[in-house]
Amino acid sequence: MTTLSHKPASARPIPNPERSLITRLNMGSGTVVGILFAVITYYLLRHHFGSPWRVNHGMDMTNTHFVNVTILCTMFAWSFGFLVGIGALIGPFRWLIGKDLTAEEQLYLAGDGQGIKRYFKYCTDHKVVGIQYLVGVMTLLGVGGTMAMMIRTNLVTPGSHFVAPVVYNSLVGLHGITMIIAMIIVSTGPFGNYIMPIMIGAADMAFPRLNALSWWVLFTAIPVLCSAWFLGGIPTGWTAYAPLSDQAGPGMNAFLATIIIFAVSTAVAGMNITTTVVAMRAKGMKWNRVPIFVVGATISVALAIPAFPTFMVAMIQTGLDRTISTGFYDANVGGSGWLYANLFWIMGHPEVYVILIPGVAALMEIAPVFVRKPLFSYGAAIAGFAGIAGLSVLVWAHHMYMSGWMPSLNGPFMITTEFISVPTGLLFLVLVGTLWRGKPWMKMPMLSVYAFIWDFLIGGITGIYLSDVPADNYLHGSMFVTAHFHYTLMGAALTGAIGALAFWFPKMTGRMLNDRASYISFWLIQIGFNVLFLGMFMAGAAGQPRRVADYAQAFAHANLISTIGAYSVGLGMIVLLWAIIHSWRSGIIAPMNPWGSKTLEWTVPYPVPLVNFDEPPVVTSDPYNYGRSAK
Amino acid sequence: MATHTEFHVHHDSPEKVGRRERLGVRLLIVADGSFLFAIIFSWFYLRNLNVNNAWLPKGVKTFSTATSWWVIVPFIIVFIAHRVSMRNRSLRVPAMALSTVLLIIGAWYQWHQVCNMPFVAQDANGRPFYNGAYASNWIIFAGTNMFHYIITAFITLGLFLRGLRGNLLDPVLEEWRQRVAGSWFTWVMIGGILSAFTTSFK
Repeated sequence: MTTLSHKPASARPIPNPERSLITRLNMGSGTVVGILFAVITYYLLRHHFGSPWRVNHGMDMTNTHFVNVTILCTMFAWSFGFLVGIGALIGPFRWLIGKDLTAEEQLYLAGDGQGIKRYFKYCTDHKVVGIQYLVGVMTLLGVGGTMAMMIRTNLVTPGSHFVAPVVYNSLVGLHGITMIIAMIIVSTGPFGNYIMPIMIGAADMAFPRLNALSWWVLFTAIPVLCSAWFLGGIPTGWTAYAPLSDQAGPGMNAFLATIIIFAVSTAVAGMNITTTVVAMRAKGMKWNRVPIFVVGATISVALAIPAFPTFMVAMIQTGLDRTISTGFYDANVGGSGWLYANLFWIMGHPEVYVILIPGVAALMEIAPVFVRKPLFSYGAAIAGFAGIAGLSVLVWAHHMYMSGWMPSLNGPFMITTEFISVPTGLLFLVLVGTLWRGKPWMKMPMLSVYAFIWDFLIGGITGIYLSDVPADNYLHGSMFVTAHFHYTLMGAALTGAIGALAFWFPKMTGRMLNDRASYISFWLIQIGFNVLFLGMFMAGAAGQPRRVADYAQAFAHANLISTIGAYSVGLGMIVLLWAIIHSWRSGIIAPMNPWGSKTLEWTVPYPVPLVNFDEPPVVTSDPYNYGRSAK
Repeated sequence: MATHTEFHVHHDSPEKVGRRERLGVRLLIVADGSFLFAIIFSWFYLRNLNVNNAWLPKGVKTFSTATSWWVIVPFIIVFIAHRVSMRNRSLRVPAMALSTVLLIIGAWYQWHQVCNMPFVAQDANGRPFYNGAYASNWIIFAGTNMFHYIITAFITLGLFLRGLRGNLLDPVLEEWRQRVAGSWFTWVMIGGILSAFTTSFK
């Protein structure tokens, strides 16, 4: 094996286009301009409408709408201002006036030779964007995880009152939406950006500037979401059902703005990844030679492209109800909460698979490498992903069985939902078939594969209970549902992402992830996770409702068990974070291909050159031909 | 994965870049189409539900059906102008200039409608509100049209200014971008027609 030095690969001089504004803009200028835009907008609207704070604290409901207008506009002004300040609009503006960016300027934007500074700039290099996403995801998981710990601490005993009920409501909602956003990008963000273009032999993403845009747009949503705390929180849970969301306090505006901004980021990122995979694969990489992670990530983002705009519409309609007194969800003026529920879940259920598929696909990428066998039935894996994606748009109303909306459709939606277990079963078949009679190399990535099979089996089977209308009559709105979706989202998708991180960490950082710390974190997380959510299944099956700050004595044992499990997960995550930071700074230098994998990303050195490959590769065999000659 | 190396290329051909951009724009159109689908769904859902008979409460005035169609005429003309200019290169700059002017007029007309909505009432406290679900849905269609006007005007203005300069780096890629813009013009015309068709159902 080759050991690589950390000397920058590029020996080119740092491009420094003279008199170009691009060289002066960074995250700092973006923040300053964003705050400036926000402050100016705030004061202009305040001058127009009067002080929103005085009005709000005085509970003058006739002017609540002006408060909402002011807050929403201020948030969007921040987001837009930040993008102006960091230079995101220079490219479009230069195109508009017919003075395209020069080659030097484009090279500068790619961050060539700029060291650590490029991580704080509007950098178009997909590897930089991948690292930005990785740090962003870890931050979101940290924030969401802290809220989870607070929730579980509040539930440690009946009547613990660790936080006030109204704060608990906000904790549940903000934990939910923070984690949903983190989970949507947890695999496709870091690995879809950093690794995937190299895996397909591309020099970069199809639209490098849009790639940077997708990250920085998302970045602007993070402070907006966090501002919900300072605006009184959200009382609605992450689903933000109307008409409660219409009537909620100013914190709800932060939620709406976050989702709208995030939907823009997702559309741009989805378009970019899909185009890259379709149009920029290396010569010889036919569709049946595309690595399975690439297929999974592409299906996932392609599913997100049509799914998220409906969520955006639901949020815009809520925003209009709150700001200019429309009545989309107000029955007095002809609106209906069912409209919101439909729009939300038309997005909401595909979104589950947008989260899940890349994680599973990453584990399918890992399994053949660590058992030294070909991926079992590549075609079945594709059929599984495609089947799930196709069916996912036909199952949304199973979230609404108990809402009273179209009871006559409960039967059909039950059938489509239960039918989705068929393509899901294919994914298990592929993984178990790959492991069958193999001799696994039990490193951290491989442990994640086994953990996934256990966790997702429980998550999947309990989902069948919930898809069944009679069983859902009893279980709906209980902790059983909470435990189920954590088994799918955390047990499957996050486990897959952690496996992917351990697998690709050497390529992304040039160093090996600390073995001992990662094993400790793995067992703390997995044991804690199962204790936490098996306990929650018990409480839910016994009837404990979800999203309630207190509970009856009958559920005390199950909740105590769950909280102990939660602390174990929290501790495991801290150990994992330590392992990541420590290994990144001073871990063992990684060889070029530490796992002996056959995909293209392992053929390039670290640091990966700006254009990835000095010479474009030509693919002549499939990526999983372990134990057999190339064909 | 076995590979062999071939030749040293860092920049793709304009044809490749053009095809890539066309695919990207079409995917964004899918996202925009999904947005439009969601608001059309909202319109027909609330119209058919007619909660509390408040889709169009008695006495509420509406715009005439014709206004929904007039406001999208610029989209249709831009589409035609673009098609003509693709066949006759000498017409490109005037076609895009005309398109930009028409789109600005269209945006102004849409804004004029928003400012003169006949279905905004006032409650007992003097606070304006949208009287009926029809009114609520109408405003989101108007907003979507405005968004399409702004984006489309940006594109036509860009093509016009770039055409005027005439010293662009890569004529082949420029030709591709004309075609890619055509995908967007076609879409906003179809989207406009779907909007007008939907809002014709009162």
